[in-house]
Amino acid sequence: MTAEAVLDLSHPPSKPFRETLARLLGHRSFVIGGFLVLIVLIIALTADLIAPFDPLRNAARVRLRAPDSVYWFGTDHFGRDILSRVIHGARISLIIGGATVLMTGLFGTLIGAVAGFFRPLDNPIMRLMDALMAFPAILLALTVAAVLGASVVNVIIALSIATAPHTARIVRASVLVIRELEFVEAARALGASEARILLRHVLVNALGPLIVRLTYVFAIAILAEAALSFIGVGPPPPAPSFGNIIANGRDFMVVAPWITIFPGLAIIVTVLGLNLLGDALRDVLDPRMKV
Amino acid sequence: MLGFLTRRLAGAFLVLLLVSVLSFGIIWLVPGDPAAVFLDAGATPDQVERLRRELGLDKPLAMQVVEWYSRILKGDLGRSILLSRGVTEAIIERLPVTLSLAGISLVLSVVAGVAAGMVAATKHGQPVDQAVMAGALFGLSIPEFWLGLVLIVVFAVQLGVLPTGGFVPPTESITGWIRSITLPAIALAVVHMGFIARMTRAALLEVLSQDFIRTADSKGLTRLHILLRHGLPNALIPILTVTGIVAGSLLGGTVIIEQVFSIPGVGRLIIGAILSRDFPVIQGGLLFVALVYLTINLLVDICYAIVDPRVRLE
Amino acid sequence: MTRRITWSALAFAAAALAAGSAMAQKKGGDVVIAITQAPPAVDAHVTSAQAARNITLHIFETLYARDEKAQPQPELAEGVNISADGLTYVFPLRKGVKFHNGKEMTSADVVASLERYRKVGASATLLGQIDTVSASGPYEVTIKLKTVQSTFLDNLSSPRAPIAIYPAEEAAKAANQINYIGTGPYRFVEYKPDSHVKLVRYDGYSQNPKATGRDGFAGKKEVYLDTVTFRFMPEAGARNAAFEAGEVHLVETVDGPTAKRFANNSKIAIHKALPFALQVIKFNHAQAPGNDVNFRLAVQTAIDMEEIMAIAFADIYQMDPSWLYPGSHAHNDAGKARYNTADLKAAKALLDKSSYKKEKLIFMVDSGRQNVDTATVIQQRLKEIGIDIELKVADWPTVSKIGFTKEGWNFWAHGFGIEPYEGPASVMSPWVNGTSQQAKDEKIDRLFDQLNREMDVNKRKALFTEFQQHMWDNAIAMKAGNYGLFQVATTRLKNFTPYRIPRMWGVWLE
Repeated sequence: MTAEAVLDLSHPPSKPFRETLARLLGHRSFVIGGFLVLIVLIIALTADLIAPFDPLRNAARVRLRAPDSVYWFGTDHFGRDILSRVIHGARISLIIGGATVLMTGLFGTLIGAVAGFFRPLDNPIMRLMDALMAFPAILLALTVAAVLGASVVNVIIALSIATAPHTARIVRASVLVIRELEFVEAARALGASEARILLRHVLVNALGPLIVRLTYVFAIAILAEAALSFIGVGPPPPAPSFGNIIANGRDFMVVAPWITIFPGLAIIVTVLGLNLLGDALRDVLDPRMKV
Repeated sequence: MLGFLTRRLAGAFLVLLLVSVLSFGIIWLVPGDPAAVFLDAGATPDQVERLRRELGLDKPLAMQVVEWYSRILKGDLGRSILLSRGVTEAIIERLPVTLSLAGISLVLSVVAGVAAGMVAATKHGQPVDQAVMAGALFGLSIPEFWLGLVLIVVFAVQLGVLPTGGFVPPTESITGWIRSITLPAIALAVVHMGFIARMTRAALLEVLSQDFIRTADSKGLTRLHILLRHGLPNALIPILTVTGIVAGSLLGGTVIIEQVFSIPGVGRLIIGAILSRDFPVIQGGLLFVALVYLTINLLVDICYAIVDPRVRLE
Repeated sequence: MTRRITWSALAFAAAALAAGSAMAQKKGGDVVIAITQAPPAVDAHVTSAQAARNITLHIFETLYARDEKAQPQPELAEGVNISADGLTYVFPLRKGVKFHNGKEMTSADVVASLERYRKVGASATLLGQIDTVSASGPYEVTIKLKTVQSTFLDNLSSPRAPIAIYPAEEAAKAANQINYIGTGPYRFVEYKPDSHVKLVRYDGYSQNPKATGRDGFAGKKEVYLDTVTFRFMPEAGARNAAFEAGEVHLVETVDGPTAKRFANNSKIAIHKALPFALQVIKFNHAQAPGNDVNFRLAVQTAIDMEEIMAIAFADIYQMDPSWLYPGSHAHNDAGKARYNTADLKAAKALLDKSSYKKEKLIFMVDSGRQNVDTATVIQQRLKEIGIDIELKVADWPTVSKIGFTKEGWNFWAHGFGIEPYEGPASVMSPWVNGTSQQAKDEKIDRLFDQLNREMDVNKRKALFTEFQQHMWDNAIAMKAGNYGLFQVATTRLKNFTPYRIPRMWGVWLE
């Protein structure tokens, strides 16, 4: 369908890793995006060390404090420090994003590769993927979350179900082109088994578009986690995620806008970094893909 | 072309069938039932059970499956448990709301996006280009619902120039309608504006690098002239495709924006139905949304096939 | 000269104002009320949701209704004659009461409505003791009970899921399929899902001739407004913003910080509906460690109830050990010594005696902010004595399903609003048969049975006091405190006083 139409699939053969890396490092988007993502990652990893306060501790005395020299981002209605919650929130948001990428990568690739390589299965599998894609991702995730209940793991499952079909389609498209290419034909002629070909050649060569797609999936997952939290099916309290801090502040949007604003900015920084990375990876790994 | 159409339609029908199975099946997995919504915390399970019977929710699965398919084949989506009206009626009632929100956002994103993309492409590599692209990327990174909240605080509460939410039908008041739709439409459009700007720029750059443009260039025509006369028409196909993608994505986006701005549209209908277990509305709503999605995709495919014959052979 | 003019102008204005408040009541005007949820139904019989009550009690009326002090008073009935054995109730009906369709209410309508309620009523158990209902005259209805029930009139007048009187032809219809025709002071106009319900003044309304003034759900219901629109606005931010922008005139509930912010605004009147509900925390007695009284007491002893109330219900709560509202006849302070102790040391000692083995426990709540806040505060507090709690937040249908089963939860918090209003029997009823705690409690069942048969008010109070003491001594369940609602209204809305619903009779717009 449209993705195939937008993609031009005459894919260049793989380049040596070192050359790719050099091109990436010379790419401005990669450097800026990588820098932003790295900072968020470091904050998430060292949250326990750098957060000025316990993100879960209630302190009724200092409820709804506006940002000041002690509470840089202000406090929420429990008297919890928003800065500390945003810092710790980075951890859960990145875990959700990362795990969604892994699940989507794994299942999307598997489904796409099987559909692309075993022609009889292609039609049924891809029609099912189309059916899943016929629901807006957020509705699909909401429905799945309503079925499974709100928890970090269930949010990951819901987001993976919502993002895997598109990924499967991209992988399938790459596989379809690559399997007809000469070097795969050659491998087949040399007596390599189908499974081996699938694994060794086709998947390795489909890696470029996949990595690009998964970078965007990471960004989508961070945004979608926040949206799910807003509807009330995100990660449960009290552990903070970017999304549930915002959701928590919605009742106090006017009297204490800082609860809503700061985690929103954190999302923007993270997603911007990921989008920049995605753009750079696309330019280098998959130059024919436009958006 | 006819072969292409039949293949596509058959495929779409198959997908729709799967969608109907999915939207029927999903409700069997959701815990809880609509009777609970009628009752407060003091209600005992006995009371819930009685009410279930009275509301006619205790039919066996097989019967429900039969009813579901005989109904949808007739185009009847059933009756809502909570809204005291038919599902079709409930959807039709809200469709203009969602369509006007998505429609205005689409116009906003296409106009602003294409313009920004054109500016960036003509000034390729210059600071203007970089600024536009940075802005587009920034727009792509903002959570829609968060932007909606911020817009409410700034424009509705602090400045008090626009309403905080709700929806005024254009039949009631045109200015009221414009005022009520402005903030949500902007919140929705920002992300897609960025998307379209990037796409337009990429498509134009590709066209502009082609031979006939270089010829036109060498003939001494102005950049703007070349762009409007040769560049844009040739870049129209990818832009059209992206507009189709955006139209679908906007429908998804309305779901959450309707929630933020308390707009009674189709998205809020479905979310409300999920949260209150109004099963006929969940099933009918999901089926309807999927149908709209598939139709948009099909139209995009057909447009694409008309302009690019190679696609038909695939 | 200018000064003089100013002064005289002011004097004139003051005089006009004084005159205004004396003649005051002005006919006309449209009021928009922002409520937090859409009503699940406008059929009063089938729902006990607060959102529905807000609306249905403007449209429909009952044979008996609760007055300001929650006592049953005749409404559509003229009164009642109770037989000596306490089993037969004869209700003479008011004559000349017109439904919104213009037809006069007769005994046939009442009988059909009561029969319908017994079948489809959301709280059909309210009429559970009825043996027969019959029309003993065109304006007289006779009800026979199976056994003596001290609370029968209380039940009949309960606003929980109101036992509304419908025209007989509507009462013949299935649950949630009726036309909304009642005898109340407002007529139903339209219901737009996810948007609003609109009511218009019923000019044919027949006042209760015995009524003198506005009195709870009973009394005089003089309507000055032309229309009332209930707008469903689940987003607190949107509700408050719409109020500030003048789009709505009254908000059902705003949070404490927002109320404080509005307090400086001379155009906004802040009303307190306090107490509105008890915040209750339930234990699952069917599961370890909730089946262990030492564990439950450890939790009860550890919790700082005031911390919960201060965070979840900022500036609008009362600390009170009673399971009834202050002012209620049976209100008492049994169990006071065990309430709000916040004693971590004593709690730890109790915990060590209990069967709790550091396992992870589930605190289940619906996604309403106050309930999530309650769970969050308790979770943090109990962490200090080594109790490990995980929050499980789900929507109401899921929570209310799991909460009445033996598995999947250890704690559950929610408000108890209508029960304490209804009275002692309604507060006890959820714990009878172990319904809410998932394990039968002989003592509660016995006390409830006695209460139901006891006709003497003071003995009933003694029974309830014993129940309350039992609740605290065994930590059957806990109450954190009484919470209220801040209701904000434009000062143009005159004579408004908050009650269990925002009553739109006796008020007018200026």
